[in-house]
Amino acid sequence: MADVKAANMTRGRMFLLILFKSLKVRKNRVSITFFSIMIGAAIITALSSVYFDISAKMSRELRAYGANFFIGQKTTSATRTADTAVIEESIAMVPAEKLIGASPYIYGVVRLDLGNAVLAGVDFAGLKKLSPYWQVEGKWISVDFDEGSCMIGKTLAKNMELKVGDSVNVIRSENGFQKSLVIKGIAETGQAEDEQIFVNLALAGRILGQEGKANHAMLSIVTEGTDIDALAARMEAKFPGLDAKPIRKVSHSDGRILDKIKGLMAIIAVIILTVTTLCVMTTLIAIVSERTREIGLMKAIGADDRDIVRQFLAETLTIGLAGVAAGMVVGFVLAQVLGLAVFGSLISFRMIVLPVTLIPSIAASLLAAALPVRMAVRVVPAQVLKDE
Amino acid sequence: MFFLMLRQSFVKGWRRKALATATIVLAASLITALMNISIDVGDKMSKEMKSYGANISLVPKSENISLEIGGVDYNPLEGQVLIEEKELTKIKEIFWANNIVGYAPFLKVSAEMAGSAKRVPLIGTNLDKTVAVAGDDEFRIGVRVINPYWQVAGEWPAEDDAGSVLAGALLARERNLQAGDRVSLKAGTSGLAETFTVKGILSTGGAEESAFVAPLAAVQRLASMEGKVQSVSVSALTVPEDKLSRKARRSSEALDSLEYDRWYCTAYVSAITHQIEEAIPNIAARPIWQVAASEGAVINKIQLLMIVVTIAAFIASGLGISSLMVTTIMERAKEIGLTKALGAADREVYLLFLSEAALVGVIGGLLGCAVGAGLSQVIGLSIFGSLVAFNWVVIPVNVAISVLIALAGSLMPSRLITRLYPAEVLHGRR
Repeated sequence: MADVKAANMTRGRMFLLILFKSLKVRKNRVSITFFSIMIGAAIITALSSVYFDISAKMSRELRAYGANFFIGQKTTSATRTADTAVIEESIAMVPAEKLIGASPYIYGVVRLDLGNAVLAGVDFAGLKKLSPYWQVEGKWISVDFDEGSCMIGKTLAKNMELKVGDSVNVIRSENGFQKSLVIKGIAETGQAEDEQIFVNLALAGRILGQEGKANHAMLSIVTEGTDIDALAARMEAKFPGLDAKPIRKVSHSDGRILDKIKGLMAIIAVIILTVTTLCVMTTLIAIVSERTREIGLMKAIGADDRDIVRQFLAETLTIGLAGVAAGMVVGFVLAQVLGLAVFGSLISFRMIVLPVTLIPSIAASLLAAALPVRMAVRVVPAQVLKDE
Repeated sequence: MFFLMLRQSFVKGWRRKALATATIVLAASLITALMNISIDVGDKMSKEMKSYGANISLVPKSENISLEIGGVDYNPLEGQVLIEEKELTKIKEIFWANNIVGYAPFLKVSAEMAGSAKRVPLIGTNLDKTVAVAGDDEFRIGVRVINPYWQVAGEWPAEDDAGSVLAGALLARERNLQAGDRVSLKAGTSGLAETFTVKGILSTGGAEESAFVAPLAAVQRLASMEGKVQSVSVSALTVPEDKLSRKARRSSEALDSLEYDRWYCTAYVSAITHQIEEAIPNIAARPIWQVAASEGAVINKIQLLMIVVTIAAFIASGLGISSLMVTTIMERAKEIGLTKALGAADREVYLLFLSEAALVGVIGGLLGCAVGAGLSQVIGLSIFGSLVAFNWVVIPVNVAISVLIALAGSLMPSRLITRLYPAEVLHGRR
């Protein structure tokens, strides 16, 4: 009984001793193994981090398409306008970090020097974020309280022979309002905006005699992780007079594009994962194969096959775990570099990345060690030691 | 002697060489696939982006400013300028004709609906029609081609079905219309009312939701405006805007002749609108910047993402190959010791290793290209449902890269190994 125990103990000590020695003596090989596992793990960590974050990131990029949510008065109601305060309160229901930009709009017909045009009252700060695609010659109106300036559409500017810096008289015949405004910028969108003149909301309210009112509001909301239909329903429940809805044209396309990008990233991540794992495997196979002599020697002095396999696997596991740990750190840093280079923002860390990296890396290393060792243990010690 | 050694090294150490080649094949196929995809991803995503709808709108050249607010026109223009429908096929005759995905003409009239005082907009358009254009007898046009986001609950009317309409979702709710209902519509001054069957309810998220949409020919007849359309939406594949196109947009006279040629022969949205204006007189072609500019921004992002990922994979596979090279060379210390003991100069040892590495690099690189080309087609088919264009420049680039990496990976261990003393190695101390 005691003998068996002692034998087991020496065996255990022997196992650790060989493990330790092997790691210490063969520094060169150990560092190469460590290094290649680390690179593999780093690449897998970096790509999977980017993959799991890509929807959130691209969803934000896709907001370049402008408004994807509409809030307006219900068509059944008598008036076409709602109180600005109500609209602003409903905009505030969107979580701040999800809201890219929003602006209320009010429209009316005014007379300019050379003819009639549609006047739109907007919140310029919100509009600029809402519609990054506007091609503006001159400048955006940057402050909300600027009541001496306006922006006009390109077609309108051409037809009325107006340039940036000119001033234009805005006349509303219904209430006799008249004011001269300086043109700060000329906007081109290719759509209805090209034929409109833009002033800030408060001024538009006074010109049109509808202070504190707005026709509708346009919002740009990050849809990833937000249930936009539920949000619309909540808004309509809180303000029964309002009609809140996602703009199908944009939200439908956003979904399609996001799916494509996610699919592309997924398949690329899987391919890179496979190839990197295989690369690590070939390196490990090369390293273990060259130790056939060592295996022969171990067998000659009495180690059985199982011991040898266990010995090699333990060795690989030790190096592998260290390599994966280092690889994860490097990979996470690499993911940040990727995130900053492409999206200009950091990639968030997700727990799911840990198993995604750990499992294939370790499995591949063990498999890569087991294959050549299994082949090697079948050899006859004398043959190997004689160098054949 | 040198070739003998080289051959021996491949024949005797075939396992080692096979392993090295396999690694290079893997790495090279990865790089090939990623390079192929990153070169083609712009075109592919540009096609996907077409789901945001048309990016160019054609309107008659006119001095009139529209006074339309929320679908209600405050200045109905009598005798307005219109576009001739038959001229539209010229869109497919421009320099960038192949980049025109489709177009849809629109004619919007205000109609009187029997049993209601309020007038409703009636939009005539091609739903899904094939026309003969230069180089293509069956070119598909219509809103179903360019606006894939239009959804119909019910059925789409057939293009030649003059007795069917789609009712916009808002309009249907307001007037309590359902698929199968019959409506009587009257437009223009002709005073003739015609009965239409509502085939389906249309949701678009746009102004069409409060209008009737009918096949173009039916609306033209109803409004007695045969052969005329008011505006056209064109969907074109474009490349993102850059410095040159912005300069051209400010004024095309500012470009010198070389810049002008380059601008004209690049699929910028501004170049395409310019060419359409050249082809069809009396129209103004305007880019819809909401689609055109945003598309550029998003595609640039995706391309950048792919390039960065390719570089990352490239570095990783480079390091992977180098570490393999290190092991395959280090394990030959004994052999090299013997060679040196027999009188080989360091130079010759280098030459042997480097030519071995180059050979492995060429074989691995070529095989990798083949595997990678297959891989990129798999990606293309599974994500975009179409083949990825194979770019021939990938092959030389890839082989060169594989050889360079293999050489670089061999250089360091070769140096280490030639520094060893033959006696020590042969004795087995190192």
